Amino acid sequence: MTDRPPVPHRLSSTLLALVVPLVLLVAAGVTIATFADELPGRVAVHWGSSGPDGTGTLAAFLVVMLGVPALVAVGSWLVAVRWGWGSGTRRICVGLAVGFAVAFAVMAVGALAVQTGLDDGLESPRIDGVVVLAIVAGVVVGGAVAFLAPRDAPQPTSDRVPADAPRLDLAPGARAAWTRTVSSRSTAVVVGVTCAVLVVLAVALRTPLLAAVAAILAALLGTMFVFRVSVDERGLTVRSALGWPRLDVPLDELEQARVVEVRPLAEFGGWGYRLGRGARTGIVLRSGPGLEVERTGGRTYVVTVDDAERAVALLNTLADRRRVS
Amino acid sequence: MLVVLDPASPEPLFAQIGAQVRALVSRGELRPGERLPSARDLAGSLDVNLHTVLRAYQELRDDGVLELRRGRGAVVTAQPVDHAALHAAIAGVVTTARDLGVPPATTLALVREALR
Repeated sequence: MTDRPPVPHRLSSTLLALVVPLVLLVAAGVTIATFADELPGRVAVHWGSSGPDGTGTLAAFLVVMLGVPALVAVGSWLVAVRWGWGSGTRRICVGLAVGFAVAFAVMAVGALAVQTGLDDGLESPRIDGVVVLAIVAGVVVGGAVAFLAPRDAPQPTSDRVPADAPRLDLAPGARAAWTRTVSSRSTAVVVGVTCAVLVVLAVALRTPLLAAVAAILAALLGTMFVFRVSVDERGLTVRSALGWPRLDVPLDELEQARVVEVRPLAEFGGWGYRLGRGARTGIVLRSGPGLEVERTGGRTYVVTVDDAERAVALLNTLADRRRVS
Repeated sequence: MLVVLDPASPEPLFAQIGAQVRALVSRGELRPGERLPSARDLAGSLDVNLHTVLRAYQELRDDGVLELRRGRGAVVTAQPVDHAALHAAIAGVVTTARDLGVPPATTLALVREALR
């Protein structure tokens, strides 16, 4: 993995993950500066269920509200330009950076705009609407930017799959397909219990926002709990129950596949759809054996799945069979 | 699950799919309650007509190997019997046939005859 090509699309990653978020945050700061002299000396910085319950200086508020998303942007940008060989990695980075910047900018401007003309920050009205707007705007704009980020160009190879890579004994004209689902029961239990607690809290505290969070968590669960892994003439396909996230590695971009032993915490820092050590993108739902696919363009993917030996053998066999003819 | 089709074989494709699913269930590689890929997905994977897979699934359902539920797809039914003894007997047949030099086609024909 030392002969990886340079990370592609570094200019667009820099623009989307660094320049756009920083411009947004500066614009938010400038907007706030135009009405800063109308704000109370100590502005409300924290809201409880019955209204504002904490104040602070404007400067401290801005350091947090504009500094946190700026750090997220710098971090995402670094990951995208250093390890962003795969379009999935770059998309998550630019989406996170822009989404955080939009959400925090809207939240900062909105939370302060309602306090203009007040003598005391504690007289500020509730800002539930601002919070919802900020989250929705962040998710929508971040998602749109992630979607618009450049995808990987096709990079077919005609190199043979290494002879020592595992193979399957397959008759020349035979068609073969391997498929298997992989699921994470523990994730389902943890998220399910969390959702239940949130719904109870939402009712008890009469805070509909918590119910919305539970709904978002449940939707995430649908995307992360069950994946179907398939190997056939179209290559490797990994698809969640909801259809996204998904991963497609066509046969003509497969360099080789192998079986690996996966330790989620040590190698990926946790479970789910993740970027791990060695810039490998993983769909990691459990520890134990999985398949690792080396794709052209320096991209490497790891999927934990049972019966990975046969999936790997079939992938190598099908990929190589195409290159002979 | 791994399904391999031989388009050159005289055995129709739906029968090949059915036979392999049966073998997987019988060997315990597909366990009761396990969900098979949707007919559409499997047809796409094997590059065969959707109706070929549907026909295979329907025959498997008729034989009690699968349950087909709307919205849930094809699920392996609970298999009440342990097929280990059958596998042992088949292994015996294979060994004997090889020892006697009986070709596979003849052995299959004899087994088929006996099952009638």
